[in-house]
Amino acid sequence: MKEIRHWLTRIPLELIFWIASIIAILTINPDAGHHFSLCPLDSLGFDWCPGCGLGRSMNLLARGDFQASWSMHPLAMLAFGVIFHRIWTLIKNLKTTHYYG
Amino acid sequence: MANVLRHLPELEGMELGYIQGLMKNMDEDQASLFAQVYRARRKDAQMILILTLLGFFGFAGLHRFTLGQVGLGILYILTLGLCFIGTIVDLVNYKSLAYEYNVKMAHETLSMLSLHFPNGGSNA
Repeated sequence: MKEIRHWLTRIPLELIFWIASIIAILTINPDAGHHFSLCPLDSLGFDWCPGCGLGRSMNLLARGDFQASWSMHPLAMLAFGVIFHRIWTLIKNLKTTHYYG
Repeated sequence: MANVLRHLPELEGMELGYIQGLMKNMDEDQASLFAQVYRARRKDAQMILILTLLGFFGFAGLHRFTLGQVGLGILYILTLGLCFIGTIVDLVNYKSLAYEYNVKMAHETLSMLSLHFPNGGSNA
């Protein structure tokens, strides 16, 4: 029990963040109209930002809809690659590096 | 034998403990050489913090570039730090990011020294 708790406290905040973001991306409905958004620019009334559509694009890519994904935002593949690479690095580091957060 | 505080007085916290562990078996010459090379390579956590803060002014992801994570840097720049959420997470997290990078640099320094000075590598 104590060991489990000790092990849990070593999971870095960043790893939790990335995994949560992947899960969140996979649960988006890309076809919904105006959706709930955490984006502060969106709540300030801005219509456009270079990242707009990236989450929906990643979701479409995960569903295998390549064409719609590309037209929504062309960088979904890069985002997936980069995030999974980071998750992999963080997991690999669990053994060697103690994190603060 | 070598005391980390004598060679690298600017270290603190977990990094201090980690580097002390690496320096434990070095003699003074090796330690001062290691300290010189390591100091040139390591990144100060405060600089990472400041670069992260620039994310609120439209320059998100500079800290990720600085830490050698180019892919994430590009992602942050293009999405304004994942809609500021990524920037805020890294603001909480900046010490871990710097520490992770510095541990990597410490090992790079060690392997470099043992490559160039086969008799000097303490842990080898």
